[in-house]
Amino acid sequence: MNQTIYPDRARVDARDKVRGVTRFAADMPMQRVAHAMTVPSRIVRGRLAAVDIDAARAVDGVLAVLTWRDFKGVKSAGYLMGGGFGFQSHQPMLSDRLVHRGEPIALVVAETLEIAIEAAALVEASYEEEQFAALLGDTRAEVLAPQPGHDMGDAQAVLASATFRVDAEYLSPAQFQNPMEMIATVAEWRDGTLTIHEGTQNSGALKFGMAAALGLDPARVRVESAYLGGGFGQKNSLQGQTVLAARAAMLLGRPVKLVMPRAQLFHTASFRPASRHRIRLGADADGRIVAASYDADMQNSRPDTFRASFSEITARLYAIPNYTSTARLVRTDVQSPGYMRAPFEHPAAFAFESAVDELAYAAGRDPLAFRLANDAETDPVTGHPFSSRFLAECLRDGAERFGWSRRDPAPGSMRAADGTLIGWGVAAGAYKAAMAPAIARLRVRADGTTRISLSGHEMGQGIRTAIFAAVTDGLAIDPARVEIVIGDPDAAPQHVTAGSWGTASSVPVVRRAVQAMQARFEEFRDGRPIRGTIHEMLARWRRPYIEVESRLQAPGQPDTVFDRLQRGLPAAAGPEYEPFVSFSYIAHFVEVRVEPTTRHVRVPRIVSVVDCGRIVSPRTAESQVRGGVVWGIGAALRETAEIDPRFGGVLNNDFAEYVVPVNADIGAIEVGFIDRPDPLLNEAGVKGLGEVAMVGVAAAIGNAIFHATGRRLRELPIRIEHLF
Amino acid sequence: MRPFTYARATSIDGIHAVQSATGARILAGGTTLYDLMKLGIETPGHLVDVTSIAGLDEIRSHQDELIFGALVTMSDAAAHPAVLQRAPVLAESLSKAASPQLRNMATLAGNLLQRTRCAYFRNGPEYPCNKRMPGSGCAALDGLDRGHALFGGSRSCIAVYPGDWAVALAALDATVDVHGSRGMRTLEVANLHRLPGDTPHLETVLEPDEMILNIRVPVGRLGQASTYHKIRDRESYAFALVSAAVALELDDGMVRQARIALGGVATRPWRVPAAEAALAGQRLDRAAALEAGRVAFADARPGQHNGFKVALGTAAVADALMIAAERSPSR
Repeated sequence: MNQTIYPDRARVDARDKVRGVTRFAADMPMQRVAHAMTVPSRIVRGRLAAVDIDAARAVDGVLAVLTWRDFKGVKSAGYLMGGGFGFQSHQPMLSDRLVHRGEPIALVVAETLEIAIEAAALVEASYEEEQFAALLGDTRAEVLAPQPGHDMGDAQAVLASATFRVDAEYLSPAQFQNPMEMIATVAEWRDGTLTIHEGTQNSGALKFGMAAALGLDPARVRVESAYLGGGFGQKNSLQGQTVLAARAAMLLGRPVKLVMPRAQLFHTASFRPASRHRIRLGADADGRIVAASYDADMQNSRPDTFRASFSEITARLYAIPNYTSTARLVRTDVQSPGYMRAPFEHPAAFAFESAVDELAYAAGRDPLAFRLANDAETDPVTGHPFSSRFLAECLRDGAERFGWSRRDPAPGSMRAADGTLIGWGVAAGAYKAAMAPAIARLRVRADGTTRISLSGHEMGQGIRTAIFAAVTDGLAIDPARVEIVIGDPDAAPQHVTAGSWGTASSVPVVRRAVQAMQARFEEFRDGRPIRGTIHEMLARWRRPYIEVESRLQAPGQPDTVFDRLQRGLPAAAGPEYEPFVSFSYIAHFVEVRVEPTTRHVRVPRIVSVVDCGRIVSPRTAESQVRGGVVWGIGAALRETAEIDPRFGGVLNNDFAEYVVPVNADIGAIEVGFIDRPDPLLNEAGVKGLGEVAMVGVAAAIGNAIFHATGRRLRELPIRIEHLF
Repeated sequence: MRPFTYARATSIDGIHAVQSATGARILAGGTTLYDLMKLGIETPGHLVDVTSIAGLDEIRSHQDELIFGALVTMSDAAAHPAVLQRAPVLAESLSKAASPQLRNMATLAGNLLQRTRCAYFRNGPEYPCNKRMPGSGCAALDGLDRGHALFGGSRSCIAVYPGDWAVALAALDATVDVHGSRGMRTLEVANLHRLPGDTPHLETVLEPDEMILNIRVPVGRLGQASTYHKIRDRESYAFALVSAAVALELDDGMVRQARIALGGVATRPWRVPAAEAALAGQRLDRAAALEAGRVAFADARPGQHNGFKVALGTAAVADALMIAAERSPSR
């Protein structure tokens, strides 16, 4: 059990970031770099009949205009969830086949970005268009047979006889991650080695995926991803653009930079698919939830199968003995959807925690007391214990901080002096506590420096700060001269850093490395007295350095999982481990204020209390929760992709029209942590945090709006028109 | 973006000849023009940068009139003490628009000429748009029209005029001094923009060689009791779902005159004289304000997804009237 209480400390890279010193991929200074720009397809589905590149090629300064004919011999790197490396299996520009709006049909490479943009606009194409389906409900969409989910007891029979029942459908729209740093690749081909600079959460998949796509020896592919300006799942695998930029670099013999314009990212990168959730709940006369049924539909692309797992958390939020769930995948003509922050858990919690709130009202119970009364002690799905579960503590602590006891439960009962309607809502959330195998190499040198190389990527979540906290805990080294090398598959094998397993996978393996270093140091010391730091002792002994390697996988994973790690394949595990189950938990308490005249909704305050095991980096952890809560506010009230089914594609494809919150939309966000180490998952006691922060926010807001207005709104985003 | 030539003008004399040349456009803050050039909607062959012309960046506060030079920035006008005190509707229409970065760059005359945010207009040739490509049709008519017009639309176009400043100016009967090769003329802001009719690509009555030099706003008894009430999807950096520019002259709680213009719901800044008339001589209370709101939206022609703006707009007009009344020196 990790007894360390980690102190508050500044983000280790904050100073560099605010001074602009941190280099992101597109900032890499490079000699003779050429600039690329893609030409997007103007149809959704069909065949590229002809491309006229003459006008583009004639522009002064254009180096090349590539079309699919220039990609002979290049292959798709395959789909990440199908044994490959890409966010989708369809690699643009390998043939004349077009499968989603906006996919690149040509790549212009020029001396300057301006020339590339100018020439790209001059490429003309003609198409043979085919019919398509753009939306979940489109008649041309292909609805696959339902996949069974969780099945415990006899939910249908018990529902039929339940005293209180809820049967409702909830909708969640397609949404896009929109990281501040757009997806950007700088590809360099020199002396038979390809180097990719790209902000990716999965440099391992890029390394092996590029090798597979281009027919290269993986040893000849270098990938550098030291920093990302946000990833949120959109950068979790190989992008189609990376192949395009690399091919251009190899053909031209010059470094090529390709920064995708934001508008194109709505059509060339992954997203949160639209989904529909029918929830049926039943409670008995004592207010116990006795049965639940959850049937979901989720948008997919045509070629790939992105499975839905909405029930993973909802089957466990409460002690519901009879539970059944199914999910149908609905194939539409879009790029493949993927893992956007809390990919299943955010929409699932919106649906389920709204329904639970409805059930609490139907049963005449306080929504907080109702949740506490239905808390689960063991996992209803497996019957195994939870490694740790402090959801009830989150709810109680949050209620105390928020002042829940002063709430009048009647909808529409609380008003400000000026008539503004006040609503207080609560919702719970959970997210699997996953771990990925990780390898760390720690070298302490006589010259006063320390270098730790390990699996992990810095998306801005603060993983470097957490690693720093772990590597300086109990090791007599100079903390000012610690180099942390992550996102580099040649320094240490890299896992996809996603699914909130970053800290839980890196901190324990660093602790192991520290222990190994201490042990090695003791061997060398051989009983001699300690004077000063390890560096000073090494200097005295005339040893240049000590290096140790540590490795750690998720509980129960065989050692063969390191082979997957070393080949850039997904290798994480969770939430079910033998013989326990691990989740992180959160409780959100929300106040909304609704203008009585215009129905304008504001969110002046939220209290969120999290159980994510031991907190290693308090400041970045709190920051992550704030970010997740802000995103939850945006998802609840603003974010949606506007798609006209006649045309496909996203109409509101810029920051002016794809509405995310601005600072003025965000009020007080109070964050609390239970901060109790998980005793089973890993020796650091760490569970995951990034994703769970967002889970349940939208439901808590919807529940608060119900409390304020008496209106139960079941479609996200909840916009002003829904309140008229 | 297409290549273009660029020249900087230092006086208004002489720019008209250049301006008349094919495809030349005036460049001021660039916040709209560059955006549309990047989208390939505006493709000027030549830009005349007018930001170095002296004397166009002043705000003058006279007895009965505020005069704004064409090149005054939105942020400077929004923070000007005389504007804040004498016509808060103007200051608010500016401070509630765009983002601080844009307000620091954008000029008051350029602001008047910003073009619609209709997504079909902005998104490229795969979407029919009579404004961008005359004769190609209008995708918005049967499309996602949440942001489209309830007033002033035609079978060719229902794109909303997106600005706020022009709506506030229209409420106050503002005029613009326009300079062209044939000399100076004065236009009412309310008549500056055309209805789309069958020619939605023609957006204003300005001649190709004309440039706005000044914006004149009469302020007297009307002005102080005014507000720009803007309802939007977020608290900043968003175009209006609906907005109401309102100015009142009250006498002991009775309305002597009222001015109401609507934004975000019409193809051009939209005065509602019927609603103004309905208030004249009335005691301004919540009921009268709501009635004015109802009258303002009585002729609305909503589409498929923007019907909520009738109720929302009614409430916004009523709220605006009550806010403006609070500011009246003689309630």
